[in-house]
Amino acid sequence: MSAVWSASRALLRRRKVQTAVIGLVVLCSTTTVLLALTLLSAATAPFERAFGEQRGAHVVAAFDRARASDAQLARTAGRPGVQAAAGPYLQAAVDIPEQWMWVPSGLLTIVGRSHPAGAVDRVRLLEGRWATKPGEIVVNWPVQGSPGPDKLGTKLTVRGAPALTVVGFATSMSKSAGAWVAPEQMAALHPSSVQMLYRFTESATDRQIRDGLAEATAGLPKGSLTTTQSYLTLKRAFSAMADSYLPFLTVFGVLGLLVSALIVGHVVSGVIVSGHRQIGVFKALGFTPNQVVAVYLAMVSVPAVAGCVAGTLLGDALSRPILRDAFSGIETGSAAIGVSPWVYAVCLLGMPALVALAALVPALRAHRLSAARAISAGDAPRTGRGLRVQRVLGGTRLPRAVSLGLGQPFARPGRTLMTLAAIVLGVTTVTLATGLTSTMVAFGRHGQGNGAAWVNVEAGRPGLDQRAPKLSDRQIEARLRSLPGADLVTARALTRVRLAGYTQTAFANFYRGDTRMYDSEIVKGHWPRGRGEAAASPAFLNQHGLAVGDRITLYLNGRQTRVTVVGELIEGNPQALESTWQTLAGLAPGWRAIEYTVELADGADAKAYARAVKASDPGLYVLPGASTNTTTATVVSFSVVFTVLLTFVAALGVFNTVLLNTRERRRDLGMLRSIGMTPRQVTVMTVVSVAGLGAVGGLLGIPLGIAVHRVLVDHVAVVAFPESMKDVWHVPQLAALALAGVVIAVLGALLPARSAARLTIAKVLHNE
Amino acid sequence: MNHDPGSSQQVVVRLDGVHKEYGDAKALDGMSLEIHAGDAVAVMGPSGCGKSTLLNMVAGLDRPTSGTVEVRGQDLGTLNETGLALFRRRHIGMVFQFFNLIEDLPALDNVALAAQLTGTSARQARRRALELLDELGVADRKDTYPAALSGGERQRVAVARALMNRPALLLADEPTGALDSRSGEQVMDLLIDLNQIGQTLLLVTHDPRLATRCASRLIEVADGRVARESTLEPTA
Ligand SMILES: Nc1ncnc2c1ncn2[C@@H]1O[C@H](COP(=O)(O)OP(=O)(O)O)[C@@H](O)[C@H]1O
Ligand SMILES: [Mg+2]
Repeated sequence: MSAVWSASRALLRRRKVQTAVIGLVVLCSTTTVLLALTLLSAATAPFERAFGEQRGAHVVAAFDRARASDAQLARTAGRPGVQAAAGPYLQAAVDIPEQWMWVPSGLLTIVGRSHPAGAVDRVRLLEGRWATKPGEIVVNWPVQGSPGPDKLGTKLTVRGAPALTVVGFATSMSKSAGAWVAPEQMAALHPSSVQMLYRFTESATDRQIRDGLAEATAGLPKGSLTTTQSYLTLKRAFSAMADSYLPFLTVFGVLGLLVSALIVGHVVSGVIVSGHRQIGVFKALGFTPNQVVAVYLAMVSVPAVAGCVAGTLLGDALSRPILRDAFSGIETGSAAIGVSPWVYAVCLLGMPALVALAALVPALRAHRLSAARAISAGDAPRTGRGLRVQRVLGGTRLPRAVSLGLGQPFARPGRTLMTLAAIVLGVTTVTLATGLTSTMVAFGRHGQGNGAAWVNVEAGRPGLDQRAPKLSDRQIEARLRSLPGADLVTARALTRVRLAGYTQTAFANFYRGDTRMYDSEIVKGHWPRGRGEAAASPAFLNQHGLAVGDRITLYLNGRQTRVTVVGELIEGNPQALESTWQTLAGLAPGWRAIEYTVELADGADAKAYARAVKASDPGLYVLPGASTNTTTATVVSFSVVFTVLLTFVAALGVFNTVLLNTRERRRDLGMLRSIGMTPRQVTVMTVVSVAGLGAVGGLLGIPLGIAVHRVLVDHVAVVAFPESMKDVWHVPQLAALALAGVVIAVLGALLPARSAARLTIAKVLHNE
Repeated sequence: MNHDPGSSQQVVVRLDGVHKEYGDAKALDGMSLEIHAGDAVAVMGPSGCGKSTLLNMVAGLDRPTSGTVEVRGQDLGTLNETGLALFRRRHIGMVFQFFNLIEDLPALDNVALAAQLTGTSARQARRRALELLDELGVADRKDTYPAALSGGERQRVAVARALMNRPALLLADEPTGALDSRSGEQVMDLLIDLNQIGQTLLLVTHDPRLATRCASRLIEVADGRVARESTLEPTA
């Protein structure tokens, strides 16, 4: 064992508090950084890998068969900028009247392809085989895993087409079709479009994609290109949920890193300042300046590495549920959601490196320190700065213990600034977390309107081994309304529709009844009221490049209708559009509702109501009311954990400062005690020395926290928080937050202050 | 000890016109002197006359403003900080008035640390440290931290640490200044014994008794200069 290691081990063993502080701080920040990096890597890498493996299409385009010939389309593959192309494939949209397997009712895009391979969009077969002759169909499975082989053989019957039997399940990262059949089958499905799949040499931005497509289709007759779908849209949809977590995790990650660097620097510089004489002795013994630095770096590296490893393990454990949540309900296709190894590598190597860097700055002071002076002067020399302040304060009418305490921060301005920074960060975190929690709680409550209980009722589906209801759609609604306890009732139909200009189909919900129960879901505009009005989530509007006021054409059932976006929801499904029953009537008269929502009157018992529903028609199924939003729960628990941790860490920073101050001032304290200062006065003096910092830290940290909160809530792409949820600050709450700095400071100071007060004078003098 | 008495004419320390200024204050003002192997030199003088500064120069802990310091033929001015550290660990042992033990290490490890610096294994270093503590009569305190040792015990541990690497030169800055008279006597006897077996000794003291008992030469310093030099008859 080398001398350096011996010396740093001794420092470690005798500085358990400082060691624990460094270990804890590194643990906390490694955990956050790992979570943020995990999400960052999962948001893009898995999509890109799976998309690359399938040689996914940068653009899926559909052309009007009547305007462009197959020969003309085939020639587009040779246009400049086109790296590879597949097609032309005939494409048809068939109407599915009822949900079929997991395919919702509405339009299903079917493409005729003789094989899944090719230069573009190598569709991955999950079960069974490819369709080779008429009567066979391969269905797209959009989510993780596979449906299993037992659904093979299922039959699909569509009006005006022969029956089709499922022979395979496949997945396309390009989402080029809902299902595929052999080309010979297509004629019977009356195709009106032709599909082309393109890969371009330049494909990084929306603009490059647009330009590439324009170049490829330049020679075609006007109006022949009907719909396009860019892979960038799919990529954004893939990471939409992960992206919504990222701002939170990034802010907490950055805060964690800052606090880590700060506290480590603070602790090491404290150890060095209080060990001035010791450094002189090391040098007198023959330690080289580099060896002295190494002693302190080695001392820090032990808790840093331990904290980093523990933090990586903890972060890894926490990342699993968060990833599950971030990708639940997202059509991930064949992309494997997981964490890239580089994330662990960055954490395990980067965090200790950062800590070493933070420790190096104060450790270099030990490098430069003159041994002769350290040995003879003993403790670090006092600057004159604090003394003037002390004289001025001494002339005031404050109790002497208080004025002495107030003067202490000026004696060591560097240490005071570090302590202040720790408190500011602590208060910023507390403020931010308080704000986030208020916002998220308000957000979690918005779906429940005025707080009344509510119940969802589904009509039984015989296809899912449920009993069909005896009552008709309208009768069910009337019955639900008449049962005791019901206040408001709405009915909802769900279908898949095609939107003019977009290849991918969308879900559409159509509502009737007392839809004012949804008014609180709207952040901008209003809930759709009559025929031709629609609303959508911010994610839907983003991904489709739409805004409130825009118009869009829906196709269903061979009919079409134009709707105006009249409202933006606070949040919701990125693939769904909300509209009215009148709109549905124009597209598909006679459709049934699949779900009814009942808001109960004040005080009504949801369980009793559910029993009454079941008794009135066994074909009705009551769903448990939606539990709290998982995003809300995750963000709230995350911010609570971080508030606690960072407050604790900030208090540890103060603790360390006071510990150092009292160690350094032992002789003064002994002297003050010997001239008659009581232990209580020593405690007061010591606590006051940092309480002032706490107050200043509070005043600086609150506006900072409010600003960060505002930036965060404005940048969650999938949720558009209304102003009422963003403006969560009240005077009493702010006053309480202002106290947070003082509380952090006093908490950190109390313990060392009391132990300083209990020092026996004799012992102090013996050691000097 | 491995010093050859035959080499007693060898110059171990040579100071030539050494000045040291701290801002306006002159700590050393043209000091010149020579110390030979096997010498026991006592340095005396009023407080603030530059005695500790002189020792720091010889140990390479501080650099002169002008003039040269040579130890065992090596001009310390030509060494950088690292070079000085390597020189110190091989050739110099230091004892201070206030002991300057590493508060975080127990007595044994304080002593062993000096040997570990020269690459000795921890086990061997501890074994030799224990021998030394035993010779100095504090072996039973080996696991005690400095804060719990008495002043005399601390100074004996400090002497053991200074001797660990068999230094050519032992520097002691008022080694009995913080001790009661009985402990002071013991440390004094220790230094006499060491010199008798050939250890070269440079000793700063206020105490004429210590000077006359331990030293063969006396250097009196005033205002950063050698004021008087005399040879002492050992009285022990
Ligand atoms: N590191 C230092 N900075 C400034 N002045 C110093 C320093 N070390 C010593 N001095 C001054 O140099 C002079 C000699 O000091 P020193 O050698 O310690 O005297 P002593 O003979 O008492 O050991 C004194 O006036 C002292 O104040
Ligand atoms: Mg002195």
